Amino acid sequence: MNQLAEEIRVGTLTLDGEPVDFREGETIYEVSERCRREVPTLCYDPRLEAFGACRLCVVEVEGIRNPVASCTTKATEGMVVRTRTKTLEKHRKTLLELVASENRDTKVDELSGYASQEMNDLLVRYDARTGRFGGKRSGTSNSKDKNPFILRDYDNCISCYRCVRVCAEQEGDHAINIMNRGFDTQIITEFNNDLRDSSCTFCGQCVQTCPTGALTDKKAIRAKDTPGEIKKTRSVCTYCGVGCSVDILTKGDRVVGIHPAMDGPANEGALCIKGQFAFDFVHHPDRLSKPLIKQEDGTFKEAEWDEALQKAADGFLKVREKYGNHAVYGVASGRAPHEAAYTMQKFIRAGFGTNYIDNCSRA
Amino acid sequence: MSNPLRDMEHPDLIFCIGTNMTECHPVAATRLKKAIANGAKMIVADPREIQLAKMADLHLPIRVGSDVALLLAMAHVIAREGLIDQDFIDARTSGVGEFLEHLKEFTPEWASEICEVPAADLEKAGILYGQGTPSAIYYTLGITEHISGVDNVQSLCNLALMTGNLGLEGGGINPMRGQNNIQGAGDCGAVPANFPGFQPCDDPASARKFSKAYGIEIEAQKGITKVTALNQAASAEGGIHAMIIDGENTVISDPDMKHCEHALKSLDHLVVIDLFLTETAQLADVVFPATAFAETDGVQTNTERRVQRLRAAVPPPGEAKPDWWIISQIAQRIGTPGFEFESAKDVFNELCSLSPIYAGLDWDRIENSEYSWPVPDKDHPGTPRLHEKEFKNGRGLFKVIGYRDPAEVIDDEFPVWLTTGRRLESYHTRTQTGRSAGIDYLLSEESLEIHPADAEAWDMADGEIIRMSSRRGEIQIKIRTTDRSPQGTVFTSFSFASVPVNILTGSGYDPVTETAELKVCAVKLEKF
Amino acid sequence: MTDQEIIDQWKDQDAPLLPVLHAFHDRDDYLSEEAIRVISTGLKIPLAELFGTITFYHHFSRSKNGKATPRVCTGNVCRLNGGKEMLEALKSEGATPMPCSGRCDDMVPVLHGDQVLVGSDANSLDHRATPLPAPNPGGSEECVFRHIRAEGRHTLAGYRASGGYLGLEQAVQGSPEALVEIITDSKLAGRGGAGFPTGVKWKAVAEAAGNPKSIVCNADEGEPGCFKDRAIMDHDPHALLEGMILAAFATGAHRGFIYLRYEYPETQGILQQAIDEAHAANLMGDNILGKTGFHFSLKIVRGAGAYICGEEGSLLNSMEGKHPFPRNRPPFPVTHGFEDLPTVVNNVETLASASHIARKGAQWYQGLGLGDHTGTKVISLSGDIQRPGNYEVPFGFPLATLLHDWAGGPRDGRTIQAVTMAGLSGGFLAGDDLEVTLDEPCIRGKGSFLGAGGIIVFDDSRDMVQAAHDAMAFFAHESCGKCFPCRIGTQRLTERLNDSGGDLALGDWKDEVEDIGSVMKATSACGLGMAAPLVTESLLRYFPDAIETHLSCR
Repeated sequence: MNQLAEEIRVGTLTLDGEPVDFREGETIYEVSERCRREVPTLCYDPRLEAFGACRLCVVEVEGIRNPVASCTTKATEGMVVRTRTKTLEKHRKTLLELVASENRDTKVDELSGYASQEMNDLLVRYDARTGRFGGKRSGTSNSKDKNPFILRDYDNCISCYRCVRVCAEQEGDHAINIMNRGFDTQIITEFNNDLRDSSCTFCGQCVQTCPTGALTDKKAIRAKDTPGEIKKTRSVCTYCGVGCSVDILTKGDRVVGIHPAMDGPANEGALCIKGQFAFDFVHHPDRLSKPLIKQEDGTFKEAEWDEALQKAADGFLKVREKYGNHAVYGVASGRAPHEAAYTMQKFIRAGFGTNYIDNCSRA
Repeated sequence: MSNPLRDMEHPDLIFCIGTNMTECHPVAATRLKKAIANGAKMIVADPREIQLAKMADLHLPIRVGSDVALLLAMAHVIAREGLIDQDFIDARTSGVGEFLEHLKEFTPEWASEICEVPAADLEKAGILYGQGTPSAIYYTLGITEHISGVDNVQSLCNLALMTGNLGLEGGGINPMRGQNNIQGAGDCGAVPANFPGFQPCDDPASARKFSKAYGIEIEAQKGITKVTALNQAASAEGGIHAMIIDGENTVISDPDMKHCEHALKSLDHLVVIDLFLTETAQLADVVFPATAFAETDGVQTNTERRVQRLRAAVPPPGEAKPDWWIISQIAQRIGTPGFEFESAKDVFNELCSLSPIYAGLDWDRIENSEYSWPVPDKDHPGTPRLHEKEFKNGRGLFKVIGYRDPAEVIDDEFPVWLTTGRRLESYHTRTQTGRSAGIDYLLSEESLEIHPADAEAWDMADGEIIRMSSRRGEIQIKIRTTDRSPQGTVFTSFSFASVPVNILTGSGYDPVTETAELKVCAVKLEKF
Repeated sequence: MTDQEIIDQWKDQDAPLLPVLHAFHDRDDYLSEEAIRVISTGLKIPLAELFGTITFYHHFSRSKNGKATPRVCTGNVCRLNGGKEMLEALKSEGATPMPCSGRCDDMVPVLHGDQVLVGSDANSLDHRATPLPAPNPGGSEECVFRHIRAEGRHTLAGYRASGGYLGLEQAVQGSPEALVEIITDSKLAGRGGAGFPTGVKWKAVAEAAGNPKSIVCNADEGEPGCFKDRAIMDHDPHALLEGMILAAFATGAHRGFIYLRYEYPETQGILQQAIDEAHAANLMGDNILGKTGFHFSLKIVRGAGAYICGEEGSLLNSMEGKHPFPRNRPPFPVTHGFEDLPTVVNNVETLASASHIARKGAQWYQGLGLGDHTGTKVISLSGDIQRPGNYEVPFGFPLATLLHDWAGGPRDGRTIQAVTMAGLSGGFLAGDDLEVTLDEPCIRGKGSFLGAGGIIVFDDSRDMVQAAHDAMAFFAHESCGKCFPCRIGTQRLTERLNDSGGDLALGDWKDEVEDIGSVMKATSACGLGMAAPLVTESLLRYFPDAIETHLSCR
């Protein structure tokens, strides 16, 4: 971790007493991350431009009087950096106690969002006293916005602006911004309207980057009281050709939510409304759960697999017998996986010796 | 796509044509937004003032179906202004002489008449595209769902070839694939012209290869397309008498709904595999319940040819089964050997063994989704960017193409252009999005987008329900006035079964691919 | 003007947002939702971002006739002089409070539209010109105020009559490098408070890659108790312009901006007239003074009420139409300033000094200081003092002499209990520390700093806990909200000074106040957050008894 290949190394600094190489443009924070220093932060999201708001990531740099924010300071040759002095750790604890003092809750359910545990994890790590620095709480929860996807509980907002920045920089929607200033800061849409009336596309990125659960996934949180551990399964969204990687969140046999995969090659953490929120069709009561056979009167009856498969096969055999191989046609799905398309084309080619196979790409 | 998705953050000039990317491929669009934030310029050719158009430096609101004219004029300007890449042309293409000669008559002034866009803007588009270093083209079904779909694509290729915008980071010609695994369906050979891995059916060697592998003589000629198959099924002479349809709501999504419905009803035998009892499944003799997203192990290929793993996270409802299992069971029951698959892994590995573009892959190697095909052998890193040093088939060929009118043009009886597409909140025929909580809050019904001036001229009010008809049928639809639509052109999506717009479409088909001209249709609008 | 005419007038100019917002605000008397939508489209700024940015500024009103309603200064000095009573008296007219508006040398100011009226009560409000600095009773030689009292000095003719623009004429005879050398040799340093050597800054911009370069004058004089820049601009505007033209010559910058605080509407008119005169006389524009290729034009960008815009990163963001948060540094404005291009950002006093130095030379300027100190500093003196006003003192000058001999000492029967430094940013000095000399080494030795030179006097009738509270409340009001220590720290310190932070025992109170102060000083992202805790720190140092009394009287 400390050493880099010659072709990407541009210099070396001293990190907590050890020589460490760095790349072109790398910040102290990035170098520290690479070397597993676990420098704390609340306003950082690796996909966004470094912002320098929370100041938890401050480090001491020899020759500079005040600590510097490691996320916004570029590594330079010969720099001597300390990431964990007693003074720094004391400042971090004070900062965490200050941040905790402005929120109603510091512990929120994991289903709130991908990053929702970040603040609480740091409070625990630093043994920060949550009752300290009493006073006014910042942010007012927006309970009038009735959208079914994003809970806007700004009582729990710490004004890190990750939501605002992800909306602008990652999503390019610019739907939300910062109203007022100082302690009265509030995250709003234009004219403080509902998200539906703004340029919000409900991609959910703001929810997933929120480190406190102030923005919460309303659909996922419905399963808060469902018993069981949350399990994550890496898969790919099936709503368009981009192929965004997702983690499917499940409790028992239920899909309870979706997280974007931050390391997904196609999406790098991004999702859209469909990938993020339109997952529950999976458990819809309309889902077919048994084979169906059409009866004389035109209605369907549920059937056992054997009967239905035999009936399906018989139909093809009969047609082949009567009209030949060129009377049978297969249409594969552009939405089912390879295995479906492959078996479908093989069904036609190996079963009938023709190329009478297509998929739905022509419509 | 010729280029990987990450390249979308690096063009100098973005040319989007026939793609409503912010709604249909929102996550890909975020990359274009980043490129624009970093200073890239963008041209958007689309009849409607879609979100992309608002972000563009130049919006060309071309008349529906006039793409070839636009692209000819741009090529004309590029040639005239000396913006061609002579080194690239000399080294890697053929047929440029005839092509350049052909271009001479197609001036921006000529195209302006057809496209209904000022000649100066066409001029500007040619210069911007020609000057970009690099310039990248992005398109979707707005290019292909025309009777001139192939011509449109080839016209785009001509532009990229003459300016050398292929094989470069941030360049290329990039079709955004619509459905999640439409690329994969092609990769797997679920097309009438190709075996798996795009090995041509009419190539005797390929036919022999698959005949041997499958243990049956497969004819060495292309099959018919689904469009032809449905025509045959519907016709009195017959031809197609049985069909198996997997995961497609053909009745709603295909053109000319009445015709389609008639075709399916005429079959002796129809088997449908789906998640829901769709409008199409209702016409079937046997319907099988399939497993869905989150219930299925498998593989899908995205628009950048990246081969990715799907994983099951929960059990399916009731007795639903994976598609491959259902199809294999039917195959076995009609006596076809080679369907003894026990897992998705078995199926995929057989595909890899028969497909040269997947030869370097197997189930275990795609665990981390890091390969874009072609991956010809196990030591190959994959091919995120095509055409970097050479074209697969040798030299890039310029095609001489002329403009043709759409199959149907407006006239006194049907004086309004109708074009169709998708919306952000809906996916296809809403079998999934329509059953997901909350989506209705944003979009609960379909409507017809009409320019306010048209609505006024036709004495129609926002929210009014009107009758819209074409030569093939009529539907009722609520109108919504919006500046997004240009005057004289209306838009709606095909997502809502309650507003089956495909009753009206189906005016014509591309002669090569038989893709329907879903993007153009002449209609009339009447008050009740 | 129609919406479109306003947009068209500005949209292709540099720094268009604030002028456009003011144009709509002036035309309609508020910023309507419709206007905001028009601006968003016209200037291609996302609507939410534009809306958020507008709400950052104190003075942009979003309700009808909002601009016309009176704003009463309830700043830290005006509170001592009846500001709150004035506000109460004007409540019926819809009056709202505003923070220190830079008239602490006069009675309470009330902003009425584009006019400032002053008075001791609501009945005596009247328009009054900015007071001229009183002649220096000690007879010590001045720089900035050298000719400010000359008849007609604010006109081009008057300015020239007392030697104005001679420095520029001399400078253009030589090379830009020679001018930079003079400024460097003079040891002139930033007079806005940061104290960065001016010559070094100019040199860095001259040598930086990237064009066009800019000269930005920071005239957002927002520090409570500071009003020196207003005096310079109102009475000696050409001195500022000459300084900017010199900076342009030295650096090769072709464009200049004066970022002027909202509360100085009359000053804007005076500056504009001076700019027009200078243009007409070929002191600005193309080929200045006949020198081929020497182009420089200047415009005024009016702020809209945000103290943080005096911080240079915020100021530049504000000019660019962005949310006015401070910028992360490095990079610095000398390489990445306005529009990320090389930019000089200098204070009014610095630039005005430069025009004198260009004419009279580096040695002359150096010689103005006392002892080892070089040059002069304008001090804005206000509060409980007989003769408040601006005084130009040599560096190293004793504070006590200024307070007692020059400014007449405290009001009759009173003694001086404490003074602030750097407006409010330096916290308080009291007791023996009132014996300091006015120079950074001495004052920094006492844990404070001289900064922009605002000194507010508190006599023995004042409650120092209250004074500290009012100071902290100002910082809390003006904290931009970007960095955590300042956003939360200023709020929590304010609450600890008015007992709304819970019932804390003295020990816990001190623990919390000290921890907050120390984290703010060490980790805040800009000077506001670093300086604010000097208020509580000095309160704890000089007035521990007052705190104890205060806490025990809850």
